[in-house]
Amino acid sequence: MTTNAGASRRAILKGGLIGAAALAGGATASRAGASESLITEIQDWNRYPGDGVDARPYGKPSEFEAHVVRKNVPWLTSDAISSVNFTPLHELDGIITPSGLCFERHHAGIAEIEPANHRLMIHGLVERPLVFTMADLKRFPRENKVYFLECAANTGMEWRGAQLNGCQFTHGMIHCLMYTGVRLKHLLDEAGVKTEGKWLLAEGADASGMTRSIPLDKALDDCMVAFGMNGEALRPEQGYPIRLVVPGWEGNMWVKWLRRLEIGDQPWQHREETSKYTDLMANGKARRFTFEMDVKSVITNPSPQAPILHGRGPLVLSGLAWSGKGRISRVDVSMDGGRNWTTARLDGPSLPKALHRFYHEFDWDGSDLFLQSRAIDEHGFVQPTKDQLRSVRGANSIYHNNGIQTWHVNSDGVIENVEVS
Amino acid sequence: MWKSPKSLLLAAAVATVSIGAAQAQDIAAGEKVFAKCKACHMVGENAKNRVGPILNGIVGRAAGTVDGFKYSPAMAKAGADGLLWDEANLSGYLRDPKGFLKGNKMAFAGLKKDEEVVDVIAYLESFDADGKPATPAKQSQAPAGAAAAVTTADAAGPSRETTGSVTEAAGLKLGLGRTATPEEIAAWDTDVRPDGEGLPEGSGTVAHGMEIYDERCASCHGDFGEAIGRWPVLAGGQGTLQAERPEKTIGSYWPYLSTVFDYVHRAMPFGDARSLSNDDVYALTAYLLYLNDIVDDESFELSKENFTSIRLPNEDNFFDDDRDEEPFYADKSEPCMTDCKPGAPEITMHAAVLDVTPEDGGEENASGGGID
Ligand code: HEC
Ligand code: HEC
Repeated sequence: MTTNAGASRRAILKGGLIGAAALAGGATASRAGASESLITEIQDWNRYPGDGVDARPYGKPSEFEAHVVRKNVPWLTSDAISSVNFTPLHELDGIITPSGLCFERHHAGIAEIEPANHRLMIHGLVERPLVFTMADLKRFPRENKVYFLECAANTGMEWRGAQLNGCQFTHGMIHCLMYTGVRLKHLLDEAGVKTEGKWLLAEGADASGMTRSIPLDKALDDCMVAFGMNGEALRPEQGYPIRLVVPGWEGNMWVKWLRRLEIGDQPWQHREETSKYTDLMANGKARRFTFEMDVKSVITNPSPQAPILHGRGPLVLSGLAWSGKGRISRVDVSMDGGRNWTTARLDGPSLPKALHRFYHEFDWDGSDLFLQSRAIDEHGFVQPTKDQLRSVRGANSIYHNNGIQTWHVNSDGVIENVEVS
Repeated sequence: MWKSPKSLLLAAAVATVSIGAAQAQDIAAGEKVFAKCKACHMVGENAKNRVGPILNGIVGRAAGTVDGFKYSPAMAKAGADGLLWDEANLSGYLRDPKGFLKGNKMAFAGLKKDEEVVDVIAYLESFDADGKPATPAKQSQAPAGAAAAVTTADAAGPSRETTGSVTEAAGLKLGLGRTATPEEIAAWDTDVRPDGEGLPEGSGTVAHGMEIYDERCASCHGDFGEAIGRWPVLAGGQGTLQAERPEKTIGSYWPYLSTVFDYVHRAMPFGDARSLSNDDVYALTAYLLYLNDIVDDESFELSKENFTSIRLPNEDNFFDDDRDEEPFYADKSEPCMTDCKPGAPEITMHAAVLDVTPEDGGEENASGGGID
């Protein structure tokens, strides 16, 4: 199913652009008075009943949306079990990512854990080492928060220049959900953190035994142990039954299948904070503990996977902006590769450390465009250009590439990922 | 199904909560909950069997044993088989009478809230076998399962039983969870730090490490750590950190040896994690040092004792996050809005040139580095 839909989608993308003009022409023709059989003839769905209420006990998207799926880049990693796939940002709108489309990054596949068999342990520099069952966790006061989660390697492929044609691949290691769970502070208070405690080690129950060191201040600030996403239980690929939520900080720290929290007086310097998730500079030195995700934005429509098919005329440009430091206060868009900027319209809720949706409506005259977006957060941090980043960091950082993205739109509406002068 | 994991889980939660002496307020709350039982059960000195049996002294006694009450065969058999109404089993039963014990005849849907279960048990616990007020000693007696936790709590620090004062001192609020036993902590706490904290007893030589490596690691990481295909490279790469294509390995990049021990122990070999003994991990770590030219003697033995004396060459080349001081962040001025750059935009690079877009099936390796 998916393969077929994907193939036909590709056909549209490849062949369709020639067709774009034809489509525009068609629209003119119908204005001139030709009648559409879709309207003049009775359609099957208008005559025969469809599925009953027992056909879809857990509803799925329409079959016509079958192309809206996560995709991976097979050559990126050695094995799909320790790999990543990407959120189809160009197919989505608003600020909440549908649960089944949230990008996945696992280091040893998806652990399938029955909640009754899951335990969360807190130990180390605490008054009382504790073990919680899921039932225990659900007896703590809960909260609901909307946060984005971005992998620190999102856009990492683009450090050396334009690489992948599509915001799904350049920016799709991000999602934004409503989490339900318990403030980590409540759990830590329950165990009684000793005054020497300065760091927290979070560990997952999967076969990678994922670990990250987190400063205690952050742990006591806004971190959560979440069991819900978008109103239902976490999905297995997002850490069912529980995951850590570390708002605004790199996704790798949001340990999935969370089973252990140890309090210590110094960081552990584990693999994911030394070999990985450290940012190599041009001079051979490396930044570490680069936890926070920087101010960033991307235009999701139009974009390489979502070309302009309707020809010239009214066009809705749309995109996402976010900052690990808080809210987005403004997004500017440019049509000429950063020469001139117009402030876009933010729409929907503006929540700290959550995705923000922006729109810019304009009349496309069919000329070449060099689309860019630039986000500014509530603390005045401005999204830098990729060249500014490279001038300080070089091109081997892999992580934390929040540079301004450019999409080139040609007169046919075909869009390409480029870098411009 | 009185041993279903679900009921045990819930039971464990409830049992630990009520280890301490039942609070007067729980008993009072429990009395209210008992209103739901009154149609069928009685407690107190004048209690009689009704639709259901008398519940005096129920906490801790065997199921199906009230004289003169006609139990269902299922309940009678469960009692004969050893079902004991400790707090764990009681809470499982009261939550879901049908699910807990198939065929029993208590026509009651079950209590929905954990608090109700805890409270009604506290209330029932306040009656002894004769329906007289139970003595405090009896009330605070921990059921079998919880006793272990209390004992170990004593060993590990103040037990939960002494809640009152400890509670306030540490800001404890709800009394949820139970004390982790030393054995449980030891089973999960395998992490190792650069200062050697967490290293287990043990040792292993380069030569022994080579044997294990060839058998269990080389198929992915290559005979010399050079890697097969796209599996991670473990050795070499020294001097490449400033090159166009840096090769980050244990020898060229990793700051601490403890990371090797910790990671191999928790996650390798890929597909069979946690299958290596402590001695195996010492030996493999020694061999990885050898493959990276950090030790050159095959008889070198790495152990808990000499571990922290070994330093990796790149340790000093890490520095803490200072992104906020980068010029484009430090400068908080209003960004330019018009005529910000001279001339018309010119394309300096196309993604299509590299042609690595997945849908085009580009198999050639990316030039932009990996995802992690
Ligand atoms: C509709 C009547 C009814 C209600 C309401 C009811 N029970 Fe029962 N209960 C019974 C019957 C009948 C049995 C005997 C079950 C059997 O033999 O299979 C029983 C058995 C029990 C037993 C096992 C007793 C033993 O000696 O083995 C306990 C404990 C119990 N009930 C507690 C409660 C509590 C607590 C409530 C209220 C929260 C409650 N029941 C509500 C009818 C009821
Ligand atoms: C089936 C293939 C396979 C085998 C066998 C295997 N590994 Fe790995 N190894 C991997 C993969 C895949 C990763 C990266 C996992 C991830 O993405 O988190 C890895 C990562 C590593 C790393 C970290 C590399 C880095 O740069 O961060 C070390 C060290 C390592 N393995 C050592 C070993 C040792 C020692 C053995 C033998 C006991 C072993 N591996 C066996 C596949 C394998």
